[in-house]
Amino acid sequence: MSYKQIKGSYSFLTIPMILIMGMVIGWPLIQTFIFSFTDADLLGITKPGFTGLNNFLDAFQNRGFLNSLKVSGIFAVVVVSVEVILGTSVALLLNQPLIGSKVVRVFLILPWAVPTIVNAIMWRLIYNPEYGALNSLLYQLGFIDKYISWLSSADKALWAIIFADIWKNFSLVTLIVLASLQSLPESQVEAAKIDGANSWQRFFYITMPHIIPSLQVAMVLRIIEAVKVFDIIYVMTKGGPANKTRTGSIFIYQEAFTNSRIGAGSSFAIIMVAFIILLILVYMRTLSQQKR
Amino acid sequence: MKKKFKFSTLLKYFALIILFVYIISPFLWLLIMSVSSSAELTLKPLRWIPEKIDFSAFKELLVMGLNTRGELFLYALRNSLVTAMTTVLLSMLVTIPAAWVFSRYSGKKNVILSLAIFTFMLPPVAYCIPLYKLLVRFDLMDKSLALAFVYCTFVLPFCVWLIKSSIDAIPYELEEAAVIDGAGFLQRIIQIVMPLLLPALGTVALMSLIMAWDEYFYAMLFTNSKAAITLPVVIANLASGRQSNYNLIAAGGVLASAPPVIIGMLFQKALIKGLVSGGVKE
Repeated sequence: MSYKQIKGSYSFLTIPMILIMGMVIGWPLIQTFIFSFTDADLLGITKPGFTGLNNFLDAFQNRGFLNSLKVSGIFAVVVVSVEVILGTSVALLLNQPLIGSKVVRVFLILPWAVPTIVNAIMWRLIYNPEYGALNSLLYQLGFIDKYISWLSSADKALWAIIFADIWKNFSLVTLIVLASLQSLPESQVEAAKIDGANSWQRFFYITMPHIIPSLQVAMVLRIIEAVKVFDIIYVMTKGGPANKTRTGSIFIYQEAFTNSRIGAGSSFAIIMVAFIILLILVYMRTLSQQKR
Repeated sequence: MKKKFKFSTLLKYFALIILFVYIISPFLWLLIMSVSSSAELTLKPLRWIPEKIDFSAFKELLVMGLNTRGELFLYALRNSLVTAMTTVLLSMLVTIPAAWVFSRYSGKKNVILSLAIFTFMLPPVAYCIPLYKLLVRFDLMDKSLALAFVYCTFVLPFCVWLIKSSIDAIPYELEEAAVIDGAGFLQRIIQIVMPLLLPALGTVALMSLIMAWDEYFYAMLFTNSKAAITLPVVIANLASGRQSNYNLIAAGGVLASAPPVIIGMLFQKALIKGLVSGGVKE
């Protein structure tokens, strides 16, 4: 029996998946692309007209849109870097032989498992300007003498949301890094010790290189989520106050479904997709350069 | 030397305690709120431990009655379950065979795999407008099955990515040996591949369930009544209303968190292993 016969041809097995993907991903993506060159409205009251590149030219003049991209950028950069640093530090701490670290490890999954919307309403209750736990706690401890409206002040809202997001998502980084730390062979560390490497050297030459691939996975997962963030912000502030927390996704949603301008909304979405593709390309570039 | 060692250990324990408090306290407070009376939650400053445990919020959400909050909540609970399970079933059914082909026949077909993984990174706002028009046009708004198909936008790429790398880990020689022994195609898949793949499939199914359970954006757009509305939407609506039944909002949050938190605590190791093994190799 030849190798060919063993292999056979089973390409047809991919067809169901391709059909569904074409229906819910491919086709909508093409439609969004087409809409982006028109002035279509949501309900289709007027017949959409072809407007060429106008939507795109307008997009780069649109303060609201540009600002929303900036908010997305700040959110993603702060959230991902804090989560990676905090998450890794916590993993290193929990990898130490400390009494009780096993218990903490069991609860580590809690923030990650709490649904995003529950996390959002939970922190909304905690930040409540009148009856929230945060104000009450800070007041009782004497840190503040007046209650603060965290989510409705322009300079605090985004940071309050960032804090809430970090609580939920740093634990994913910790869990992934911790799993990797536990697969680090004890013998390697011992050998380095015998060779006279101090704990910093052991960390930089043995531990770090070992956990970096896992850390990269965690980072990619978090970047993907953070760049397109919608849910947590929409539920906590709806993009306010004064649009200070309005991210790209929220802006596009409002343009399409509140202002009913799906042509413009689509072009913003396409620009955002282009930015994400750029981000992925830069990331893969740096990865392949590191490998060389 | 000895003294220094002790001090650093002390620091580590201090950090461990802070970490534990940080992880636990927000959710513990949600739990406490859910069993407090609404009067206690509007004191200024707050009382941290309720005088007596009050389950009325849970009762209001979980007791069925015509046009009550309980009715909507229970329907949402059912819809969330149905939508999540349909999504997972649908995704697994089409991705397992596809992932097998991607794993065993590398080459041009892997363009499709890369494309699938790539779409995982795109924001839902890139699809939602045409999907909305499509659902309106074919009268599919407010239907769990339609929502489950929409959820495939993010569950499918995730499944095919993880399942493919799990199949990669199964030696192809095992399949070859079976074929040489005269096994047909179905035998080869059912008797050789599936048993070895089962633990990984369990992990992928659980993760996908949690992802679908978590989803808010599409559900908010595409459902609006007890026919298909999901828990996240109901809870978000509950919280955005101008009312001060904080215990009710908290109870809703606790109930919606229970399934994923329990699954997470029970299967923590498997979940993380699945995620890491899928990712690191790419």
